[in-house]
Amino acid sequence: MESPSPSFTDLPSDIHLNILSFLPPSSISAVACTSRRFSPLPTSPSLWLAMCDRRWGRFTSPGSWAAPNCGSASRRLYNALDKWENLMGFWRRIGHGHGSGGAHAARYPLVFFEWNENSITGFRVSPCNEPGSYDVVKSPFVSLGMSKDGETVCYRWFEEGESETDLGLDPIAVNVSFVGPNHLVVEEGNRGFGSEIEENLEVQLGIQSSSPPDQATLEMYQYFANLTSPSGEKGFRKQKRREKGRRKSLFETEHFVKIGQYCPSSFRPLQGLWKGISENRSLEFYLVAYDDLGGITCRHISNPGSQFSGYSPLFWSPNADFLIPPFSKEELDIYTSRVHTGDFNLNNYDFEGRLVSRILCINSSYNLVIPDLVEGHNGNLRDVEGRIWEYDDGSFGFGFVRDDFVIDLKRVAFEGRILDSVQTKFANL
Amino acid sequence: MAPGKNITLKSSDGEEFAIEETVAMESQTIRHMIEDDCAESSIPVPNVTAKILSKVIEYCKKHVEFAATKPTDEELKSWDTEFIKVDLNTLYDLILAANYLNVKGLLDLTCETVANMIKGKNPEEIRKRFNIKNDFTPEEEADIRRENQWAFE
Repeated sequence: MESPSPSFTDLPSDIHLNILSFLPPSSISAVACTSRRFSPLPTSPSLWLAMCDRRWGRFTSPGSWAAPNCGSASRRLYNALDKWENLMGFWRRIGHGHGSGGAHAARYPLVFFEWNENSITGFRVSPCNEPGSYDVVKSPFVSLGMSKDGETVCYRWFEEGESETDLGLDPIAVNVSFVGPNHLVVEEGNRGFGSEIEENLEVQLGIQSSSPPDQATLEMYQYFANLTSPSGEKGFRKQKRREKGRRKSLFETEHFVKIGQYCPSSFRPLQGLWKGISENRSLEFYLVAYDDLGGITCRHISNPGSQFSGYSPLFWSPNADFLIPPFSKEELDIYTSRVHTGDFNLNNYDFEGRLVSRILCINSSYNLVIPDLVEGHNGNLRDVEGRIWEYDDGSFGFGFVRDDFVIDLKRVAFEGRILDSVQTKFANL
Repeated sequence: MAPGKNITLKSSDGEEFAIEETVAMESQTIRHMIEDDCAESSIPVPNVTAKILSKVIEYCKKHVEFAATKPTDEELKSWDTEFIKVDLNTLYDLILAANYLNVKGLLDLTCETVANMIKGKNPEEIRKRFNIKNDFTPEEEADIRRENQWAFE
């Protein structure tokens, strides 16, 4: 005769921990309300740590973030990581442009967040200056972690010349907050991480991909408007700002918008943040996104104040209808005898002999301008045409009919890490 | 350890199962016994009945196969989902067996299945499903509800 199976309550505690580690906090509370046996759950440090491990153990070591002796610190860690996992990936600076001074890296508008063992670090990311190099410069920008007392702390590093005050090499405490899930603010203050701005936004933010500039500007105005409203927390902040106003501000507040997808997928092979050597041998970053209508757009990411103010469209196509072999003689003529810009490089990335598997027709942004006004182009639409050549290994390059180059593209980041990265000082995080 | 060697496992109710060593090694407990040379001709598994042991062996066999054939994530998940369609008592027995025999994949699968049965339910529904006795006094129950109020918003 078989002995009766155990009931849920009779299972050993470590098995309860294993089962409950899969649950969200609301379910933990529900279980806690079932009986005395489970009422201590919401204050159990080992449970919250097990929940952190279950969700983020692959990326970081939750146990090493803070001394998890008390249940509320572990619970705060869970809540912090729950919000912060949204930081991972690339963010693009928007708004009034950066202040004067600052090193090259501080002017480039890209930031990349990645997991560390016991913190999250955001790096300023920019293309390396050496002609022909595919290296990407990473420079520490902000770091988020937990203090010994289980409070969130956020720090920011400064490049030489970035602030008028001499701040030295040590990072200082700053405020980091979300204005909706795709909008990040880094500003002066020492409250660590906050996201209380969210509920005051009238516009519901359901944006998945990087928002166009006007949407982000609206959010920024909302953000600053909320800071001056008289009620509660905001009134307190207004007062603090008045006090702060007497002291010179250390640095400009920066706003960032999330870059939706920085890697290609099987259905969207062109999507992502790419790097390529342009015709003048400098490394540039390109962001290719698909829209809801099946079209694709490529934007060149560059310094504000340069000719292509930060986010200009470089080429676009209304669809992703590729041409497949056999290719017409005309198409082959367009491709062959082009120079691959990657061949300029110092390392030996081999682009020779890549078979073109598919071709896509694209148009450059000049197409949106009256052809007569574009210098050198006498309304000849061939001058704005281009091609994307997809290779049999899945990578691709692009070029325009008006010149003889193919810009072959490589990924900037993969699986949460930047490829070919060169890190500037502050190696000790 | 000769490849292709067979190991015999003996359930609590005396039934014997002959399996390949690679399959047996999915259990870290048995793996340590083999590596430490404590394994005799037949390894007893005292807390696990034949019914449950055969299920565990089925899981281990399939996952050794998967390691070689490298299926897609969907195929793997689909097989696991079918495999775990058992009644709650069998599920508990599988959890305890996977825990004792230290088969991580099976332990996570079974625990997550139970977790999914808890998710989204309120306390009363959880008590019903899992036969948990409400041993709070009315005051205690009110207190604990208040403390966990945030979760019900």
